[in-house]
Amino acid sequence: MPAGSPKVPVKFDKVQKYFGPVKVLEQFDLDVAPGEFLVLLGASGSGKTTALRILSGLETATAGRVVIGERDVTNILPKYRDVSMVFQSYALYPHKTVAENIGFPLKVRRVAKAEMDSAIREAAAQVQLGELLDRYPRELSGGQRQRVALARAIIRRPSVFLMDEPLSNLDAKLRGYMRAELKHMQQAFGITTIYVTHDQIEAMTLAHRVAILDKGVLQQLATPAEIYNDPANLFVAQFIGSPPMNIVRGSLEGRHFLTNGARIDSPAGGQMDKAILGVRPEDCAVVAPEDGVLKGVIYTTELIGDHTLVTVEIGDDKLTVKAPKDINGNQGDTVGVALRREHLYVFDATTGQRIR
Amino acid sequence: MSKATFRLDKADRSLMQRLFEPPAVGKMSPVASLLAYALLAAWSLVVLFPIYWVVITSFKDAAAVNQGPFYVPFLDFEPTLDAWRAQFTSDPYCDVPSIARQIGLLAYNSFAFIVSPVVTLQPMEPQICKIFLAFTNSIVVSIAATGICVAVGAMAAYALARIQYQPKIGNVAIFVGLIVLIIIATSYAGVPWWLASSIALALFFFLARTLGRRFVLSLGNGDILFWIISQRILPPIVVVIPIYIMFQEVRLLDTHLALILVYAVANLPIVVWLMRDFFVSLPIELEESAQLDGASRFRIFWEVVLPLTRPGLAATTLLTLILNWNEYLFAVFLAYAKVQTMPIMVAAKNAGEKGVLWWEMSAVIVIMIIPVILMAILLTRFISKGVLMGAVKG
Repeated sequence: MPAGSPKVPVKFDKVQKYFGPVKVLEQFDLDVAPGEFLVLLGASGSGKTTALRILSGLETATAGRVVIGERDVTNILPKYRDVSMVFQSYALYPHKTVAENIGFPLKVRRVAKAEMDSAIREAAAQVQLGELLDRYPRELSGGQRQRVALARAIIRRPSVFLMDEPLSNLDAKLRGYMRAELKHMQQAFGITTIYVTHDQIEAMTLAHRVAILDKGVLQQLATPAEIYNDPANLFVAQFIGSPPMNIVRGSLEGRHFLTNGARIDSPAGGQMDKAILGVRPEDCAVVAPEDGVLKGVIYTTELIGDHTLVTVEIGDDKLTVKAPKDINGNQGDTVGVALRREHLYVFDATTGQRIR
Repeated sequence: MSKATFRLDKADRSLMQRLFEPPAVGKMSPVASLLAYALLAAWSLVVLFPIYWVVITSFKDAAAVNQGPFYVPFLDFEPTLDAWRAQFTSDPYCDVPSIARQIGLLAYNSFAFIVSPVVTLQPMEPQICKIFLAFTNSIVVSIAATGICVAVGAMAAYALARIQYQPKIGNVAIFVGLIVLIIIATSYAGVPWWLASSIALALFFFLARTLGRRFVLSLGNGDILFWIISQRILPPIVVVIPIYIMFQEVRLLDTHLALILVYAVANLPIVVWLMRDFFVSLPIELEESAQLDGASRFRIFWEVVLPLTRPGLAATTLLTLILNWNEYLFAVFLAYAKVQTMPIMVAAKNAGEKGVLWWEMSAVIVIMIIPVILMAILLTRFISKGVLMGAVKG
């Protein structure tokens, strides 16, 4: 990879997509910086793959513009967009060898044989496939196929990489390994990359910035740390984090959040009949009943290894607490739950918006 | 359930269980396999006996046939080559130079067919070995027709599998209306056909561009597919007279081209329907990936889609080839002398004052089925499984 390959920005400008009457993407605005690794994160049906396909040209936008670099590519055929894509299914040509698969993008561009051969070898070496060039896809393992798909994407030095859940067909161990490989490679090439996934770990570990989508609407676009520590709304707060953020239903009165007879100092003020208090499991602690802000009954405990998850039932809500692994507590015990005040979030229960 | 009903050990099983239960998953029980093989053997007999009968009949003489049925050569009857001689040596034109000349003509015509606008197809000489003439005619017609049919049909099927068409019903109505107008204008008002058609074509584009924008109702790919298969709903006998008159008008009766065109058109619906299913079942990511890699649609079709549907293509080709090879009805109407095909030769043995010449007919049939068997063996090599393995599964 020549170091000076041009880094290209990508822009979605008020993109909309309807499949018949079904709205898939609504007023989607997104600016991707040159060389950025941007992850589109969302559940299935959130419109993330559609956004990627609109960028690739495999799908056309109902309205709005897509810009790659300086060029408006909204109505341009995929092959003129200078993007390459890694599919979830890898989409290798089963009747071509690994070398032919990797070299296909150059072959259709009528690159000279010698030049193509050296490019294939270089691309294969970058993904550690040098030994397997004469094999057919059916003779490869899942991880090897994945790397062939990757090599095919990098061989022609596109302006933009598109990846549609490239790791989700791999087993957990290989996925972790390939994740690191991908991150390293993207950093080394500096090619603008847009990566679609439903896996929050992948999003958090890979991305420079994460764009979270739900029902075709962009919920938040921020760095992984900001997404985690400063969620814009209830959806983002609950989507990120494992186990997800706890929520407690109640009401907001001035600087206090009222729930289950408890009065909690709120980080945000206001008057609201239906409010939601959010707190992450690691910002809670199981304490003696009289010491906790909230009081409840242990619903269940799960030893994870380095910690124990304690689920406490408080009124109608259940709170999961990330507790030390050696915690004592049996199902049915009455305990208190302490909350770290600086890590509380308040949301409007009707709109889901964060109240600051 | 008592413990006694569980017999885990093979030796513990009762005789009935041993007979009726499969010994392992994916195997058949002894009784079932006996039944299956018995049925297969019986069916094989049904299928193979006629072939055997045709072959031995071709070595019988009139007496052996008429006093028959005789089943075993040398025991029941004395085999003779009379029927075969009737096809070859007793035909005065079946000498080696004539056949060589025929082969030359055939080679020339195969070439001429490819560049047919430039070079005209040479008529096969009528005064020549009849069986050889029919054989070469059959080969030329069925291979050329199959080639055209599969090429056009596969491309049409691919388009229908991957592109969404929405022809407006109003535009279709305009088109049909204009055709009716052309017919009226040419037959009753004496307008030259080329003038009428070009005016109609211009009118169609004008109307479709202006009026067509207002139409809402449109058809989909399913309707187009049904339209295509509907061409096969009518029995061919219904259309054979109009087709005869059509070829008479353009002076193509009794030519290879006439048969080739008719066969190609008649079998196009079958090819489109079969191939569309194969194309639809291909994972679309392969084509999308190729598209992003910069391949044109035709290149994707040629380099990605066709190799992956090779088994289907081979099966479709074989089916079309056999249909064309065996076709009788169109051949008997459109090719009465120079381009008679093998089925006509077979039927011809059923004519004349001598009655049915079963032994000669059998000889012709044997000659006729040999290429089909060879073709089937050749093409089944392509009908192998597992072409798609490794394409999309992780």
